[in-house]
Amino acid sequence: MSEIRQIAIYGKGGIGKSTTTQNLTAGLVEHGKKVMVVGCDPKADSTRLLLGGLAQKTVLDTIREEGEDVALDRILKEGFGGTRCVESGGPEPGVGCAGRGIITSINMLENLGAYTDDLDYVFYDVLGDVVCGGFAMPIREGKAKEIYIVASGEMMALYAANNISKGIQRYARSGGVRLGGIICNSRNVDRELDLLRAFSKELGTKLLYFVPRDNVVQHAEINKKTVIEYSPNSNQAQEYRNLAQAVIENTDFVIPTPMTQERLEEILMEYGMMELADDYKI
Amino acid sequence: MAKLLDKQRYKCALGAMQTVQAIERALPVLHSGPGCAQKLSESTGSSGYFSPNIFPCTSINEKDVVFGGVKKLNSTIENALKVIDADLYVVLTGCIPEIVGDDTQEVVSRFKDSEKPVIYAPTAGFKGNNYIGHEQVVDAIIDQYLEKTDEKEKGLVNIWADVPYQDLFWLGNIRELEKLVAELGLTPNTIFGYKRGIENINKIPKAEYNLLISPWVGLKNVKKLERKFGTPYLHYKTLPIGATETSKFLRAVAEFTGVSKEKTEEVIKKHEDYYFYLIERYADLFLENRVINKQFSVVSDAHYALGITKFLANDLGLVPAKQFITDDTPQSYREDIKKEFKELNFGIEAEAVFETDGYKIHSQIKEHDYHGYPLILGGYYEKELTEDLKGNFLNISWPVQNKVVFDSYYAGYSGGIRLIEDIYTIAVQRFN
Repeated sequence: MSEIRQIAIYGKGGIGKSTTTQNLTAGLVEHGKKVMVVGCDPKADSTRLLLGGLAQKTVLDTIREEGEDVALDRILKEGFGGTRCVESGGPEPGVGCAGRGIITSINMLENLGAYTDDLDYVFYDVLGDVVCGGFAMPIREGKAKEIYIVASGEMMALYAANNISKGIQRYARSGGVRLGGIICNSRNVDRELDLLRAFSKELGTKLLYFVPRDNVVQHAEINKKTVIEYSPNSNQAQEYRNLAQAVIENTDFVIPTPMTQERLEEILMEYGMMELADDYKI
Repeated sequence: MAKLLDKQRYKCALGAMQTVQAIERALPVLHSGPGCAQKLSESTGSSGYFSPNIFPCTSINEKDVVFGGVKKLNSTIENALKVIDADLYVVLTGCIPEIVGDDTQEVVSRFKDSEKPVIYAPTAGFKGNNYIGHEQVVDAIIDQYLEKTDEKEKGLVNIWADVPYQDLFWLGNIRELEKLVAELGLTPNTIFGYKRGIENINKIPKAEYNLLISPWVGLKNVKKLERKFGTPYLHYKTLPIGATETSKFLRAVAEFTGVSKEKTEEVIKKHEDYYFYLIERYADLFLENRVINKQFSVVSDAHYALGITKFLANDLGLVPAKQFITDDTPQSYREDIKKEFKELNFGIEAEAVFETDGYKIHSQIKEHDYHGYPLILGGYYEKELTEDLKGNFLNISWPVQNKVVFDSYYAGYSGGIRLIEDIYTIAVQRFN
């Protein structure tokens, strides 16, 4: 029995972490892998596509209403292709400490024995940025050792990715956490592929996969399904299968080398500013 | 890198629950973990109407951290109001709710129409120590309880001095300061201790003057009182102990409040006559005793370090070695306080060192040549050290382990005499 590959997915808010994670999970399931997805976002929308809707009570809601003596089946639901889905959840917006909430729920999952030996993958889908220690919980010692950052060619996505890398670097020094690569969730920005490759190289990692933009993703989301379930024969479904393959085969795990703000802006200037003024047409 | 702080002499800001407790019939309501109050409540002389071990407390746990502790706080205040008969309820926050971001102010404001006043002082430990916490509590009273008034009472003076319970002699000192101010024909108003409480708090805005006797603690408060009520303040930095400083103090207060010179000198003369009568009677003790120390060091907060140093140098003619200030005085006050130590009689200057680490203080004491037995006035931590150095030790600052103080004091003329008694009681026990 090989060790469970525990993977954390980070990236700027709204970049498509949850969509990418769930579609990637669907791809892995098709490969016969056993996967658990742990949503680490108070919005609790990390497993919606796998479960066919926001069908699940979060760990923290359960603790809040029923106390801490919770059975595993109350918080773990089975979704598409036998995936196990957990939503950490969080306090109501504006009160309490969501970061501590994530620590509490992951500890609870461990205590309840959610990490069974038959699992091949566990994904932690973490919100936005690593704003405090709580959101770094999935990459602390003994948890996820592999990280993928979802980014696009947009400037703010790269800022966030660079910043997240600083967090990874910190934990990499003391533990075994490593960056597995950048996943581009394309926004059809000019020279996006080149920019992402250059950016990844500068970070000391690679662009693991370039997921093109396709409206079928949107349609699948409206229908509360992953693309692989909603439209298995579409090109995009194949893209996600390829992404899954890339993750399975990936063996390049590095300690990232985050860049200075100046260097990041240089790269953006080099690749991101493609004669904008000349191209501008109405 | 984190460092070890040896023999710390203060508590965290939540220790200001002692300040609340010193106000008669005021009740601390703690929004903190269950262990905080227990650890902070070891001062003696603090049982009574409310024991420090039974304060209402939200005792917040992990669940409250994740979801916020405001519901629990709400019910704790609500029930405290129901079951405990107090005049003023002061909600004090510990570190956890302040880090989590509980909106304590909002919860407390829900009780603004309750029969008894409920106010809130942020006293998270990371904001500072209990000296800062003390200021926070007084600030909370000024900001949230006191209301503006046009009514001023002629000659009414609010007196602010020691930090209750942290300062061993807080009760006796404040009573003695009240007496001295009253002798000038003024009406003292203080809020701590027996039969002061809410009625005296209500009088604060009506005062004509605020009198702060402290090197730095409370300065923030009197400035706030000046802004809010237009009450001018006199900042007298030295706790007056003995004749030299107390006479100086009375003259300063009189000048500030417009008391006549004649009246002031009359009061001073009466006290000085008796003071020097006592000193004269014991002149042989002072002159012929061979075991009294030549040099001394005080290890305490700035309040006592300054007061005692001035007294021992100016009145007893002892020579100050290094004086150690252990209250983690904010940087902005330090230069000013150091200067005060240089203004002693006979052209003598004392070196004041701001040091919170007991090991470093003890190292410096050991290194110094006291030209004989050292006289160390400090916390209980200095007892063993002084014994090793064959010196004389008097426990005058926190922590206190070898004496019980009900309402003794060192402030004023008679306070100076008490301090001489205490020092010589120790000195004469040595083989002469």
